[in-house]
Amino acid sequence: MNDQLSRRLAFLGVLIVGLFAALFTRAWYLQVLTNEELAEKAFLNHVEIVVTQPTRGRILDRHGVVMADNKRTGVITVNQSRYAPGQVDYVLGQLSDLIDIPVAVLGSRLKDQQTHPLAAKVVASGLDEYGLLRVAEQSLPGVEAKWVMSRVYPQNEIGAHVIGYVGAMSQGQEDRLLKEGYLPSERVGKSGIEQIFETDLHGHPGRTELEVDSTGRVHRIVSQTTPEPGSDIYLTIDADLQAATESYLRQGLIAARKTVSEDSGFFYPAIGGAAVVMDLRNGDVLAMASHPTYDPNWLVGGITTLEYQSVFENPYAPGALNNRAVQGLYSPGSVFKLVTALAGLEARLISPRAAYYDIGYFQIPEKYGCTGRCTFYNADKAPLGVVDLSSAITRSSDAYFYKVAHDLYWIRGEEQWAIQDMAQLLGFGSQTGVQLPFEKSGRVGDGEIKQALFEANPEAYNPYGESVQWLPGDNINTGIGQGFVSVTPIQLANAYATFANGGTLFSPNIVESVVSRTETQFGSSVIDFEPRIQRLAEFPEGSGVVREGLHGVSSKARRGTAWRAFEGYDSGGYAIAGKTGTAQAEGRNPVLQRKKEDSAVFVAWAPRHDPRYVVAVVMEEAGFGGEAAAPVARRIFEALRAYEQRWPDPQVAFIAPQPECPEIPEALRGYEAFTSYVPEGCPWGIQVPRANSPEDVDGDGIPDLEERDQ
Amino acid sequence: MNLPLRKELRSPLRYADYSLGLVAILLSAIGIALNYSSTWRVLEFNGQDPLTYAKRQILFVVLGIAVMIAATFLDYRLYRDFANQAYLLVMLALVGVLFFGVERNGARAWYELPGLTFQIQPAEFAKVAVVVALAAFVANHDGHLRLVTLSNAYLMLAVPLGLIYLQPDLGTMLVFVAIGMGVLLVSGAQLKHIVVTSLIGVIVVIGVFNSDNLGGPALLRQTQEQRLTAFLDPDFDIQGASYNINQSQIAIGAGGIRGQGWLQGTQTNLNLVPEQETDFIFTALGEEFGFIGVSVLLLLYAYMLARIWFITRSSNDLFGTFACVGALSMFTFQIFQNVGMTMGIMPITGIPLPFLSHGGSSTVVAFGLIGLVINISARRHIA
Repeated sequence: MNDQLSRRLAFLGVLIVGLFAALFTRAWYLQVLTNEELAEKAFLNHVEIVVTQPTRGRILDRHGVVMADNKRTGVITVNQSRYAPGQVDYVLGQLSDLIDIPVAVLGSRLKDQQTHPLAAKVVASGLDEYGLLRVAEQSLPGVEAKWVMSRVYPQNEIGAHVIGYVGAMSQGQEDRLLKEGYLPSERVGKSGIEQIFETDLHGHPGRTELEVDSTGRVHRIVSQTTPEPGSDIYLTIDADLQAATESYLRQGLIAARKTVSEDSGFFYPAIGGAAVVMDLRNGDVLAMASHPTYDPNWLVGGITTLEYQSVFENPYAPGALNNRAVQGLYSPGSVFKLVTALAGLEARLISPRAAYYDIGYFQIPEKYGCTGRCTFYNADKAPLGVVDLSSAITRSSDAYFYKVAHDLYWIRGEEQWAIQDMAQLLGFGSQTGVQLPFEKSGRVGDGEIKQALFEANPEAYNPYGESVQWLPGDNINTGIGQGFVSVTPIQLANAYATFANGGTLFSPNIVESVVSRTETQFGSSVIDFEPRIQRLAEFPEGSGVVREGLHGVSSKARRGTAWRAFEGYDSGGYAIAGKTGTAQAEGRNPVLQRKKEDSAVFVAWAPRHDPRYVVAVVMEEAGFGGEAAAPVARRIFEALRAYEQRWPDPQVAFIAPQPECPEIPEALRGYEAFTSYVPEGCPWGIQVPRANSPEDVDGDGIPDLEERDQ
Repeated sequence: MNLPLRKELRSPLRYADYSLGLVAILLSAIGIALNYSSTWRVLEFNGQDPLTYAKRQILFVVLGIAVMIAATFLDYRLYRDFANQAYLLVMLALVGVLFFGVERNGARAWYELPGLTFQIQPAEFAKVAVVVALAAFVANHDGHLRLVTLSNAYLMLAVPLGLIYLQPDLGTMLVFVAIGMGVLLVSGAQLKHIVVTSLIGVIVVIGVFNSDNLGGPALLRQTQEQRLTAFLDPDFDIQGASYNINQSQIAIGAGGIRGQGWLQGTQTNLNLVPEQETDFIFTALGEEFGFIGVSVLLLLYAYMLARIWFITRSSNDLFGTFACVGALSMFTFQIFQNVGMTMGIMPITGIPLPFLSHGGSSTVVAFGLIGLVINISARRHIA
């Protein structure tokens, strides 16, 4: 063997070694380094996962009236991404002939912004078998005709804001939900109960893993789980009361639109409002209305752009999707005087029975040296004459509370922020914790908040370069619920409920229970919402006088601010106590291009001496609280009186305040002005104990156990 | 040629490298096991005998062993005398297959014999014929390859290449190129000739690929071009051209270090890798026996190639040396190309993995070549 041969053979040998080294390296890379990734791919390669969607849970009112249900419906979907430009028009034309819907409508549904741009869009729904067949026969490309389980809201717009609606998942939700076994086409809760209780309502999808070969033939079932239906949600809402509340609120707004504003000379726009009805004994929300409203079925069944715009982008009725009861922020106006009064009492600045001469305005005394505004007028500059704490509330004397707030301003030390502290004690400035999404916490302004607001956005808050210090004027404005105070309607209801029930601040419940529908646990509660006590407030001495002042709001004799609204109201056993508010709204109405009209606010509870229910009504740009909001509340109370019989009294979670029976001289007993002070069941001058405790439910003063023994 | 028959029978077989034969049998045993594991599930599902493929492969292996033994006993120097006749016969068969062959997967490469359930692929036998004929031709010129001789050698390669191109079967063509390059390189072609012809070869290949772009007829079929594109870009057409590449790598990678166990590989069982029992048999090994199994197989192959390499060195005459080099080149190329393709480092071409892939012609030819090498090893001490 010669050298050359030997060398070239050696070269061949080296080459072979090199090639084998390459094979080993590659095998190492595939089988050791990237093994996990490839094993995962191999699994997906041969296992087909079939997901069976669970039935979504229903939403029912406290009596079992179904407010959200599922029904089988035929839908036509069009998958736009499958077409070349121009092709879609042809397909829509064909579809339009088949199902008798104009091309323009189909086209606008195709542009639906609610779903993912690449997802198939529902262009028609509610079809029957024949409709589906007609479309399926044509087998148009990208068009699907199928049965789906669709959400249906049998009560239409009743409770729309509470229940919420379902819609296609947003891109943000998609990543998370798909991992939890959702299908991309599935609709998820977008607001209200549908959103908050999405997990409970959805249930667990069934999952079958099938082993398939390259041609898709099934070889065996690897694993199988059956779907678990979602749980039912029982609300504390009474559907009939809810319907009544919504209708009264709407009617109240319509009435306000026929009223001319004295300030501007125009009709009130009365663009929207909210009403909340709560059981103040346990914090259950019995009704919650928000206007403008909508029918959630529109949002489920596909909707044309025009339809969408007319309801949800209507500039004359903005924010139809918002639940104003928890999301609307309003200046409370005079309703806030409850807080100021209690704060003044707490700081011992108010002598409840001391006379104050209301001359129609309040001027900061010179000795204090005034910066900023120095003179503060009553609403219509009308002097009310001599008032004490009680009548200052009943007649809503601004000057009286200007003075209280002004005096509170100069207190230093712990009680410097007495108004703000009292507001927080009653739940203002923080979320109530009701089971609804997007709840606003509102704001109770103090020095820090003012400074932060002014510095963050001086153009909007401080165009004239005012002082960022907390001035006496700021405290004075706060004292009558203007300025740096903003609240939600449910906070108003909750605060008055707390005062009325003697100091128990609840987190309101709008959901009573979550009831399972799975085979093993059918009908049993998964969650029961017990009354949730946030805190117990103690009210200062003299708060009885505040109560007395609130009692007079509907009294003509005491010149209560809402007496007109309650004229002829059958108060026997169901008299109300409350407060009107007429709050100046900041800014301009963007559509009408003029200063916003006042918001009408009214909060009241009933019965006056045995408080059970609280109603808060807020109406945007609708005028006076006593004229616009109080009549709505009156009709709600009238409805409550009828509906109240339908549910049992709740377990009382607190001890009701003892009514005080004042001594009234015999000579004065015939006059309404005096009788209205006296709680029901008070014989003149004799105090009747009414202990509404668990041991003594009928309240006759004798423990029930002893009664039975007799 | 006039050696006494008695000595001929007695002495050479003492030196024969039997381990080579054992390795070949071991490899084909692995092959049978893998043939079974990559077909039983689907066969059973279809209601057929799950052993169909395994049984046929056993038959081929038995046939192959017989051929190997026969090839061992007959003095290899006799082959040299009949090399040209064998070459001509196989070339005729290659011509004939273009007219009388059956078409499968778009290539007309198989003779269908009446009464038999399998076909004969003449191109496989052409490999042996070319190895022997080329070795004989080069040996006749004592390894001194001048330009004229080299050209004749090229011609010997060009005929089968052309005929197989007409089938067409790109993979087998490449095997011939590998055999030719191996033999000519070792046998003493001058470097400048090798460089020049390599350059020409590269230009021709590029020309063939781009023949349609250059204004000529498309010389490469679309599937072949797609396979090469898929090799360069695995995300190209995942359900089509890249499917094999991705699927086989997934299957091999899923094996991990220890593998899923024999008959347990899901990709293998469920027919998710196309051509599982033939060209992609290595994926079954990778998935079911993991990196350990792959290493054992590659080491067996490496041992086989190493033995052939040593026999090449120790062979006493040039014909033996060059025949061994031809076999070495052929096995090396087929192993590297096939295994490399399943693991995505070589483009996909239809080349069987020696001893493992299901198929009669390739198994018999592989055993025959091993027989030839054992034959050469046995007679390496005969002057």
